[in-house]
This record gives sequence, C-alpha cells and structure tokens, in this order.
Amino acid sequence: MPDSQSDVWLLVPVYNEAPVIAAVMTNAMQTFPNVVCVDDGSRDGSADQILTTGAHLVRHPVNLGQGAAVQTGVEYARRSPGAQYFVTFDADGQHQVDDVLRMVHRLRTEPLDIVVGTRFHGDVTHIPKLKRVVLKTAVMLSPRGRRLGLTDSHNGLRAFNRTVAMGMDITSNGMGHAPEIVEMIDEKGWRVAEEPVTILYSDYSMAKGQSLLNGVNIVFDSAVRRNRR
Amino acid sequence: MNVIKILLILAVIALLMLLLRSHGTTRGGAYVKIGMVVFLVFAAYAVVRPEDVTWVAGRLGVGRGTDLVLYAFVVGFGFFAISTYLRFKELELKYARLARAMALNEADRRDQQSTGPSPDSPHG
Repeated sequence: MPDSQSDVWLLVPVYNEAPVIAAVMTNAMQTFPNVVCVDDGSRDGSADQILTTGAHLVRHPVNLGQGAAVQTGVEYARRSPGAQYFVTFDADGQHQVDDVLRMVHRLRTEPLDIVVGTRFHGDVTHIPKLKRVVLKTAVMLSPRGRRLGLTDSHNGLRAFNRTVAMGMDITSNGMGHAPEIVEMIDEKGWRVAEEPVTILYSDYSMAKGQSLLNGVNIVFDSAVRRNRR
Repeated sequence: MNVIKILLILAVIALLMLLLRSHGTTRGGAYVKIGMVVFLVFAAYAVVRPEDVTWVAGRLGVGRGTDLVLYAFVVGFGFFAISTYLRFKELELKYARLARAMALNEADRRDQQSTGPSPDSPHG
C-alpha cells in the first residue's frame, strides 16, 4: 500500500537510461510513492522520460559519476521532514522492489542503521563468472568490509535510515563510492546488516557494468584516502 | 653502501607520508615550497660544482654524481606527481559540489513552478 511506504525515498542515479527508466520507475512507484531520480548529465533524453512518471528529478549540469549522483539524491531527499528511510535503487531494472520492501522492513523493526544487499547467497551461478571473480576480489581487498561481515561491498542496493542519510558524505564521484560507504559505516559506527537480494542481469544491463580496469582506480583512490587521515 | 641506500629509500617514503598527511594545509604548502627551493639550489649547485656532487654521491654509496642527480630528480618527480594527483581530487570534489548546488537549485525552482511534487510535500 502506497501510504505505508510514504516515509521511504528511492534514490535513483540515472545516466543514459532513456529506454527503460520510465518503465522501471512506474513499476517502483506502485509501491514507493517518493522517488528522486538524479539525472547525471544524460544525453539521451532520460530527463524527459523521468518527467513523464511523476518522480522527482534533479539534473546534474554535467556528468559527475554514480557516487556524486547518489550523494545528490541523499541531499535532496533528506530535506523532506517525512523522509525516514532512503534506498539507493538502480535505474535499469536490476533491482527488485520486493528486496527493497524487505530491507526497509528490517530497518523499521531491527536495531539497524543500514542494510546492504548481497548477491552471494544460495545459487550464484546466474552471476556472470568474471563479475563474480571481480566482486570477490573487491571484498577480499577490503579488510574493513570483511570485519563488518560484508560479502558484497559493491552491491548498489542499500537501504538506510535518517541517521545515515544526515551523515552521508560521499566524496568520490565515481564507482569508488562503494568502499567509501564501507569506510563511513566503520568510522561512524552505523549498525549494518546484509540482506540476500536478487540482481536481474539482462542483456541491456550487462552491456554497461563496471570494467575490471576501473577496479584499479577504485583501489588506488581508497589507499590514498586512507593515508590522508 | 647498500644499507645507506635502504635508509634513503625509507627516508623518502617517510617524507612522502608526511607530505600526504599535511597536503592541503598551509604547513604542507610551506614544506613543498621549501622543498622546491632546496631542489633548485641543489640543481644549480650541481651545474656549478659537479665535483662536489660526485663527492657527496661517493659518501652516500652512489656511483656517480649524475646518478645522484638522477635519483633526486626521480624523487622530486614522484612528489610532484602525487601532489598533482591530490590537487586534482580536491578540484574534482569542489566541482562536484558546485554542480550539485546548481542541480538542487534548479530542482527547487522547477518544483515550485509546477504543481508537481516537492520534497517538502511528498505524496501519500
């Protein structure tokens, strides 16, 4: 029922997703009435598509990266006094509304500040092999992540409460925001739990995806950030 | 001889850490400027009195004076590269925050203009 989820805000970074964004948003908004899409400098008319759905729209004047888009979404949504829960949600249909419902329910009922999704549960054969290797490597390279018991630190599906939203300060603009969030969880003492989720890999969404080489950038940036404190 | 080389490498790494930590602060900026002046003086000196450089190199266990100059150049370049990288990251962050402020302003204007949704009056 829409009313019971009106204190939840979906935060959707969007970069060139015009073919699917309207459908994905319309579907999500049947359950979650409050959605903010952050158009990160798309050049394919994504913004116009978003405006047809009734979702909130914030447009970056230039492309900054997914981390920056998430931070913008958080800053927009947290201004609403009624916003209690925030969920980063993919624009391409990879994330499931049911997973979000479960994660938000856990935030409501358990002593948790942030719930992150994990792909590593049960049968993982649907995840492309190379991607599995890359993800596991990313987890291995993060001692903080392991200490916090996280098995999928680069999972984009994260639900968190207002405490986390007010303290969220992502400074890495690109995909390096994933380890940065793990660092924040560790440093600010946010109570974190994992929830098994299903990521739907379609041909469309697989065509994008993070390159292995970008992993080099992410690891380097993390190391520099650590040594600057 | 090899022990001195190891010590030098450790000293360089220590200096690097120091630079990283004080980067962006006025203290760090001062260190960098001092470093640049020292480096330039050393370079000028090496041109004027290369035999002195060779002597110093010998004391440090380095083969030739030119080798010493080369090492100093490599280290200087390393500092420059890291410093530049850090400045870029900071600029990137400022740029992102500026773009974000513009985006949020524009969104507020659009929200107020249309009869559509705004963060202060959500659906439901």
